Amino acid sequence: MSLIFKRALATAKSVVPPVKTVDVLIIGGGPAGLTLGASLKNSSITKDLKIELVEGFNLDPVKKFYDETPEHFTNRVVSLTPQTINFLEKTGSWKFIKQDRIQPYDSIVVTEGLSDAKIEFDHHSMATMVENVNIQSSLYQRIKELEQESELKSEDFGLNLRDNTRVEQITKDETNQWPVVHLSTGEQIKTRLLVGADGFNSPVRKFSGIESRGWFYNRFGVVATLKLEFPVFKYAGWQRFLPTGPIALLPLPDDNATLVWSQTVENSEMLTKIDSEIFINLINAAFVLEDVDMQFYYKQLNKGETEGLIEDIQWRINHATQKYSDEQLEENFPLKVVSIEENSRARFPLKLSHADSYVSERIALVGDAAHTTHPLAGQGLNMGQMDVQSLVGAIEKGMQRGLDIGNPLVLEPYWADRYPENHLLLGVVDKLHKLYSIRSEPIVALRSFGLKAVNSMSLLKDFMIGKVSGK
Amino acid sequence: MLPIKRQLRSLPLKNYVIRALSTSRPSLHFPIDKKTSTSQDEMDHFNQLASTWWDVDGPQRILHKMNLLRMDFIQETLRNSIDLNQDVESPDEEIYIPGYNIDLLPKPIAEQIIAEQELKREELVKSQPKLKALDIGCGGGILSESLARLKQIESVKGVDLSTDVLEAAKLHQRLDPSLHDKLQYRLSAVEDISKDEQFDIITMFEMLEHVNYPNEVLKSALGHIKPGGWLFISTINRDFISWFTTIFMGEHVLKIVPVGTHHLDKYINETELQDWFKEQKDFKVANSKGCIYLPFNGWSFTDSPNVGNFFMAIQRTK
Repeated sequence: MSLIFKRALATAKSVVPPVKTVDVLIIGGGPAGLTLGASLKNSSITKDLKIELVEGFNLDPVKKFYDETPEHFTNRVVSLTPQTINFLEKTGSWKFIKQDRIQPYDSIVVTEGLSDAKIEFDHHSMATMVENVNIQSSLYQRIKELEQESELKSEDFGLNLRDNTRVEQITKDETNQWPVVHLSTGEQIKTRLLVGADGFNSPVRKFSGIESRGWFYNRFGVVATLKLEFPVFKYAGWQRFLPTGPIALLPLPDDNATLVWSQTVENSEMLTKIDSEIFINLINAAFVLEDVDMQFYYKQLNKGETEGLIEDIQWRINHATQKYSDEQLEENFPLKVVSIEENSRARFPLKLSHADSYVSERIALVGDAAHTTHPLAGQGLNMGQMDVQSLVGAIEKGMQRGLDIGNPLVLEPYWADRYPENHLLLGVVDKLHKLYSIRSEPIVALRSFGLKAVNSMSLLKDFMIGKVSGK
Repeated sequence: MLPIKRQLRSLPLKNYVIRALSTSRPSLHFPIDKKTSTSQDEMDHFNQLASTWWDVDGPQRILHKMNLLRMDFIQETLRNSIDLNQDVESPDEEIYIPGYNIDLLPKPIAEQIIAEQELKREELVKSQPKLKALDIGCGGGILSESLARLKQIESVKGVDLSTDVLEAAKLHQRLDPSLHDKLQYRLSAVEDISKDEQFDIITMFEMLEHVNYPNEVLKSALGHIKPGGWLFISTINRDFISWFTTIFMGEHVLKIVPVGTHHLDKYINETELQDWFKEQKDFKVANSKGCIYLPFNGWSFTDSPNVGNFFMAIQRTK
């Protein structure tokens, strides 16, 4: 007897790795994943769930941010809608945001590169620029606070964060079909509900077999953190639609600003490599000069010819703006960029994707795992936050009904709630991108007429602001 | 269509038959014994049955959807029965309960009032002893499992007369580790449960309309309810709407449920039950709601409990 017992123990040890069982396993420690973890622990209905969060990258910068805040601004900055901020306030994490590093703004001025059409949206605090790491840090601090308030030992609190851990494989348990996630550490976690907050290439979505549809725009977004010539007096976002893609300059505190510039593949690569002095001048030019001038500069730069370029740009900018009074300049163009934060230039491919469903048995997808969008409307992260809010509501409802939270009947309302809204927003942003990529003159004339017409209709504009800011 | 009222009042005591939901399909009524439950053939059969009973996209989807409403009804009734200011000594500690529709207040204030009420309610529920529940006609265990997962429930006993669906229920219970200690199933009729067994909650959902002598079944159930405890039932009004939705559309047109599941003459009107409970000492009807199934929309509550399907909650007062 004892011999058999020993042998059984021996094989168990060598063959079967330890399997941990949890209620919710969140893959991805980005804003969506962390918000989900914090909200579930913040809700009186779901706070007893055992949750595990797995992130592939190192979360040290996130963990240290609150106490050892870096001096410079990071280049991953997002625009949060009042709706998202409201949700983060309810989750209890907003109070941990470093307030001196965020910038609310009251208007956005949209112009276009092929005509003089202009539209201006005004609304008090219509959006707020926040660094990604600031959001993640505030959520991390909130999770720590909830753990302290629970007065439980950290292993009993029931939200375990692990970083530097990749998902190697996802399988199904043989007895009850629950998903089992195999980690790069050799451990396995079996879960009642597996949430993919794991981005565009979501391993969870691939495991679930949910199809995602969409296309690459054949464009890259170039980002950078910039310094302006003066601290801004009136905080506004500036966006100009160029045929190569929109360029946006958005405010950070004082004289700081952040850039998102959609460009062709070739130009985007060039922009991340050229001398920073030329890069700055090109940004200033992109808000003032005509398309033909910009095309000429791109051509020169792609050939590597830089001689006399800066002088030429500055002369042309002066020539184009000298007819305006100071007041008109302020109304029509952003402040000039004077320098760039070192190593803050980066680029990423732009695409549209939308998963056919966000849920299947024991699976839910949130944020970029379910949908990605062109950044021109600054909605990507906000859509993810609204996903999380809706999913938490669905899980709360399911628990009050005594259901297994992996049951599709619990998860389906989340998908039904979010899919149509996300689909509409993805579609509108996609059409805007396409409309402004066109150079044909009749189309330019039509869209400029449309933009000017909308600009004169304040009711319609209020409706549009309401739609994107959630007011 | 008249006999029901008569049946409710005076019935022969012996030889009554309870037909559970499952009897609409031909099932074998043999006693459980170890031999049958371990044979591979039976296992395969139960496995198959279990997977269809619990497949939320399968033939029982409508029942799964109805379960959501059952749980909402139970939760709402229990929530409303809690007196938030029961232990309050001075008016200063009282939780504010406005005597008007709370949605009339500005949103942040309404939210604050609701949050305060929720907090207090949660405190009170936590301080009370956990509840014991009995699910009569539990079938594959859809409701039994839901009850067992609630924090305030201590244990659930599910009884049914069909061995095969009970096996399906047990098989499914094993899939969720959180149910192991809280839920047990028994092959038993309500009148065979020992008189000593008392419960805080007894449920009889979609069951009375399959029973030949509802009077006796109800009487037996009442005998197992603790003072202050609850009986939750649901059945169908005996009217044209019910015939049209449950029999004509449900069985013959849309074929959502098997033909022969329902018999109009066994349906019971809400008013008949109201009258019947008035005659029962120490019991009062605390809540009653109609419900309706709309394709593409699922089940929803109505304000007319005397049309179509309805839920009823009865509390033992002493």
